[in-house]
Order: sequence, then C-alpha cells, then structure tokens
Amino acid sequence: MHSAKSIFGAGLWRNNPGLVQLLGLCPLLAVTSTLVNGLGLGLATLLTLLVSNALVSASRGWLRPEIRIPVFVLIIASTVTAIELIMNAWFYGLYKVLGIFVPLIVTNCTIVARAEMFASRQPLAWAILDGLAMGIGFTLVLVVLGAVRELLGQGTLFVGAALLFGTTAQHWTISFSNDYPGFLLALLPPGAFFAFALLVAARNWLDNAFTERRTAPVADAGP
Amino acid sequence: MAEYALILLGTALVNNLVLTQFLGLCPFMGVSRKLETALGMGLATAFVLTLASVCSYLMHTFVLVPLQLEYLRTIVFILIIASLVQLTEIFVRKTSPLLHNVLGIFLPLITTNCAVLGVALLNVQRDHGFAQSALYGFGAALGFTLVLVTFAAIRERLALADIPKPFRGNAIALLTAGLMSLAFMGFSGLVRG
Amino acid sequence: MAFIAALDPRVKHTRNVSSIMCDVILALLPGTALYVWWFGFGVLVQICLAIVTALVCEAIVCGLRRKPMRQTLGDLSAIVTAWLLALCIPSLAPWWLIVSGTAFAVVLVKHAYGGLGTNIFNPAMAGYAALLISFPVPMTQWPGGDAATLDLAACLAVIGANTTALDGLTAATALDYAKTQLLLERGFDAMRGEPVFGTLASNGWEWIAVGHLGGGLWLLWRGVIRWQIPAAMLAALLLSALLFHLLDAQRYASPLFHLFAGATVLGAFFIATDPVTAATSPRGRLVFATGIGALVYVIRTWGGYPDGVAFAVLVMNMAAPAIDYFAAPRVLGTGSGQS
Repeated sequence: MHSAKSIFGAGLWRNNPGLVQLLGLCPLLAVTSTLVNGLGLGLATLLTLLVSNALVSASRGWLRPEIRIPVFVLIIASTVTAIELIMNAWFYGLYKVLGIFVPLIVTNCTIVARAEMFASRQPLAWAILDGLAMGIGFTLVLVVLGAVRELLGQGTLFVGAALLFGTTAQHWTISFSNDYPGFLLALLPPGAFFAFALLVAARNWLDNAFTERRTAPVADAGP
Repeated sequence: MAEYALILLGTALVNNLVLTQFLGLCPFMGVSRKLETALGMGLATAFVLTLASVCSYLMHTFVLVPLQLEYLRTIVFILIIASLVQLTEIFVRKTSPLLHNVLGIFLPLITTNCAVLGVALLNVQRDHGFAQSALYGFGAALGFTLVLVTFAAIRERLALADIPKPFRGNAIALLTAGLMSLAFMGFSGLVRG
Repeated sequence: MAFIAALDPRVKHTRNVSSIMCDVILALLPGTALYVWWFGFGVLVQICLAIVTALVCEAIVCGLRRKPMRQTLGDLSAIVTAWLLALCIPSLAPWWLIVSGTAFAVVLVKHAYGGLGTNIFNPAMAGYAALLISFPVPMTQWPGGDAATLDLAACLAVIGANTTALDGLTAATALDYAKTQLLLERGFDAMRGEPVFGTLASNGWEWIAVGHLGGGLWLLWRGVIRWQIPAAMLAALLLSALLFHLLDAQRYASPLFHLFAGATVLGAFFIATDPVTAATSPRGRLVFATGIGALVYVIRTWGGYPDGVAFAVLVMNMAAPAIDYFAAPRVLGTGSGQS
C-alpha cells in the first residue's frame, strides 16, 4: 500500500509538516533568521524523527495501547536529550545559538504525530523511510525560510556556516551587496510570520496551478 | 510590588510568548477558529502553565541540582507537565463537571504545547527565583490567552471575507499573526531588561 | 483606508465610497498645504510616488484576481491610504522607502484580506510601522526648517538619489527631542523656550496639526466621520497627559504638547476613524478609541518609540473584532460574528 515515492511525495510536498500541516511552527519561525541556524535545527529534528520512528516501530508489537502516548513522549524526550548532549559536545556554538529550541524538539508536534499516525502501525523499514521523508520536508522548509530571511534581512547567505561545518566553512559566507541597507523587518518576529505566510501562499498557488493543469488540460476558454 | 507588576506586563505584552518568542504557536494556529474554544484553551493553558512553571522550578532546584542531574531536565519537565495535565483533568472532572465540559477536550493537547515546556526551560535558563518563576509563568499565560482570544475574534471575521485563493486558510492566518506581531513591536522598550 | 461604513446597518448611506474619499482628500489639503509651506515640496513628491505605487499595485492585484479594475481603482481609497502614509514618513526620505511601504500596505494589508471593507488592519499604519522597524534611521530623519528652501528639482534630487545631502536639512521633532533630553535627566522647565518646541508644541509641525484639525472638523460637519472616535481618543490622551502633568510637570509633557505634537490630530480624525478597521457599535467605538488614546500616551511616555499613534492604532485594530464581540449590545438574530 505504500511506496517510497508516495511517502516522499507526502513528506516533501502533499503533506509537508511545515507548509501544509503547520506543525512545529515554533522552531520554524524562531530559528530561521539565518540559513545555517535553520539547517542546524532541521538536521537535529530529522535525526530525532528517524530515531523515534525507528524505536516506536520496533516496539509496536509489545506496547499496550493505553500507555502508548506516554511511552512515545519518553522515547522522544530521551532521543532529544541524547542529541542535546551530542550538540553540546561537538557543536557548542550552534547549540548556544539555537538555545531552548533544541530541547523543545520534544514538543514538535510533527514527531509525536508521525509516531502515532504512522510509525506505530508500520514495519521498521517504512517507518524509517517516513521519518526520513518528513524530516527532509521539514528541514527544507527551515532552509528555504532561513535563506529568504537572511537574504532579505542582511543580503548574505551562509553566515555562521562554521558553527555547523567546522572551521573549513569560515569563508563560505556569500555577501551579495556591500551597501545593502538591510531590511531589518525580515529578521524581526513580524518578518518571520510574513515570510512564512508568503511561503505557504506560494505553495498553495503552485499546488493549485499543478492540479488545474492535471485535471483540466484544456484551459478554460470561456469568460 | 512595582517590580512584580513590571514582570507581569513585560511577559504578557512586551515579550509576548506567541508573537515575539514564538512559543505556543501550534494551539495559536490550531484552536483559534472559534472564539469560544479559544477562550477555553486559553484558560486551560493558563492554569497548567502557571502550575508547571512552579512545579518544574521546585523539581529543578530541590531534586535535579542537588543530584547533579540537570542534563535530565528535558525528560523530567515533560513528565511533570504530562502528569500535571493528567491530574488537572482528574481534579476538574471530579470537582466541576461544568468546567470539565469547557476545558476537558483541551487538556490533553497541552502536553505538546511548547509554551509550557518552553517557559519551564526559560525559567531555569534565566535563574528565576520561586516568585519570579510563578509570575513569569502567569504573565506568559496571560499574554497567550489574550492574543489567542483576539486572534480568534479576527479569524471569525475573516471567515466572511473574500480572500484570494492562495491566501485562504493558513496563509492569511499567518499574515494576521505577523501584523499582530508588528503591532506588538510598539510595546518594545516599555519594560527594560 | 476604507471610509465606507457598510458594516453598520442602522445608518442609511446614500453616498458612495468615492465621494466620501473625495471629501477625505479635500480635508487633507489644508494640512498638506501647511506641510509644504513649512518643510518644502518634498512631501508632494512623496504623495505622488505613493499614489502611483498604490494604483499600480491595485491594478496588478486586480489583474491577477481577474476583478474589474475600474471599481477598485475608482473608489479612491488607495489614494487616501497612499496620501496618509506619505504624510507620516519624513518628507525627504529616499524614494524606495515610500514605494516599498505603500506596496506592502496595499498588497499585503489590504488586498490579501480581500480588499476594501474586509481588511483588519489600517493599511497606511501597518505600512508605516513596517517601515519604522525596518529602517529606523531614514524613518527618523525629519526635515528641518531649511528643507523649505529647496526647490522642486532639489527635492527630487534628494529623494531620488538618496545622497548624504540630507545633512543640515534634517532636525529632530519635538517628541524625539523631548524623549532624548528626558533620558539625560533634563526636565521640561530647562527645555522651555528652545526653538524645537515652537509656539504650541513642535516648531512647524504644530501648524500642520492645526490644518489637519480644521480638515477633521470639516469632515465631522460633513457627516463623513462621527464624533465618538476623535472625541474618545483625544479625551483619553489629554486626560492621561493632564493627570501626569499635574503630578510632575518636569517629567511629563503638557496636554497641549501631546495634542499638537506628532500625529495626534491626524490619527484622531483621519486614521482611527476608518470604519472598516474600527469597532462597529457606538459603544465599541468609544472603547476602541479610548484604547488608542491611552496607548499613544503609554508608548510616547514610557515606550521605545517617540510617537505611538501607528502602533496604538494597530493594537486596537487587532482588538476591534474582540471588542465587537464582547462590547456590542447583543441584538437577537445578529450574533456579532458568531456563526
């Protein structure tokens, strides 16, 4: 009943956790002032989703349904704590920048929703694939939003790449204009909402355009 | 006294949980289609949030720090919140069936409300004392309820508007949240620190 | 800026939107003329830029949505929005400021909500607030008296080229000046008599406010706006100012200062009165406008920005649907906003 294609189609476009389901909005808007911050949190979330989906799916055989939600939450919280410790050890700069939004991955509704709706009912391989697809979908939204806001806000890309990729990435920062006035709004909270609203509207518009083309190959000629 | 009033004002308006800190956005977007449900959700969250900030403060100061188990705070806090939600549910059901009718369905949703865990973590991160933690939790909850209810009233009005197709639904709600956040920028500087 | 009152069924409307908008534009003329007299032609350039941007944006949106263009552009509401926004920004600010602000106001704040009549927030004020937080430096370089000496070509050069020729042409407004001086622990007694304060409140700006007051009273007399909003907003602002002024005249400015400085008069008669974004019932309007007046005082006195009219209007725009829900008298069968 599943195919890798349909799972990835859902995760990346049809049922994208960020753009369509509007889950995990808090980190999505809070950390995307730069591309690198978005990518960093996206990867951490992706990892959490993979691990928690795998563990939930593996334990689905012997888990009593009444206690499944608390167990899911515990699994997720333990995974996040492990990731927190890893980041604290090896990506300390990034960990500092992301602040409480690393531990808050626990309450990212995407993760508990995938555990409940998908992983607890599917074999291990599909569950992992679903975690991967949803995680990549979420990360892509974070990256695109981070890129848009960074570009508009300060006219650069990849600021702080060293936080994620180590010292070799120190010169990756791309600056597009030397006397860009800086559209401060894009970096402030209202700008986060506006940029994301426009992203959602753009996705809706593209989606409408696709479905119209698919369902009605002949354009409506009438007035 | 004035200091406490300023903390309250600061957390409710100047650093509003939803519009400037990006916490609690899921219920903000999710249960704001009708004003009455928004009010119920706001009150339920306000209650749990205040209680959770106090309990997690006590747990952190008197159990985790002496045992040097601070790295377990995420797990411990989420457990505290989940059990508080459960206890509140049982308590409300036993004592006030009326209140349970209003708040009952919202209580389970609060466990995954990042505002509750977020405020608990912020209290620890900023070294708040007992009274400060309680006030911070209460102020944050007040601000959350306030914007949730006004947002729901706006969305009820938007249901009647002829909104362009790509903007219908989530996009216009996000745009509205952005404009609300823009309006709240006017409060910046009111309370320093 | 929608001055239609289609939301209130108790009042008979025989006039159409465009004739009301015409009145509003006429009422803006005395204030605008005084602006030109005191601070030069810059503001005219800004108004023209804003109007052209607003009409182009409306035309594009109408084209995209396949809506009749004549009706939307013909109601003149975009021109009023553009005009108000242009009056609110510094008159020698670079051209991209007013263009981007107007485009934001018309496209995202007005038409994304379905256009005139269903927008929640006042487009001009949302545009102004977005500009102010995005570009704090050019948005606070107000023209000084020397700006009046520039001829039209020089104004065009300054606005078009965004050169540093602004040096010497700008001056602080009285609100800015008082705010920074108070932070330096200088009281109003020590400041009295300094040229920036002019005769009433703020050199030059006070007469523009008087012009707007005349235009606003004319609008009241014409029945375009009703008394509740200006009266409640000014009463709330002036009473809070009076109270604190009596407590400590050194640290809190007089009511007269608050009336004629900044955008008080423009806000009370032209901005807060927009019926689409205000509360609908008379009682709701009193609550709405009292909130604006009080917030203007709070933001001016204790907040981070020198003037608070735009933010106060936006906050109360946001609260207007809730005010209608809780404050409006429940008439059977109307069910304010409930389905």
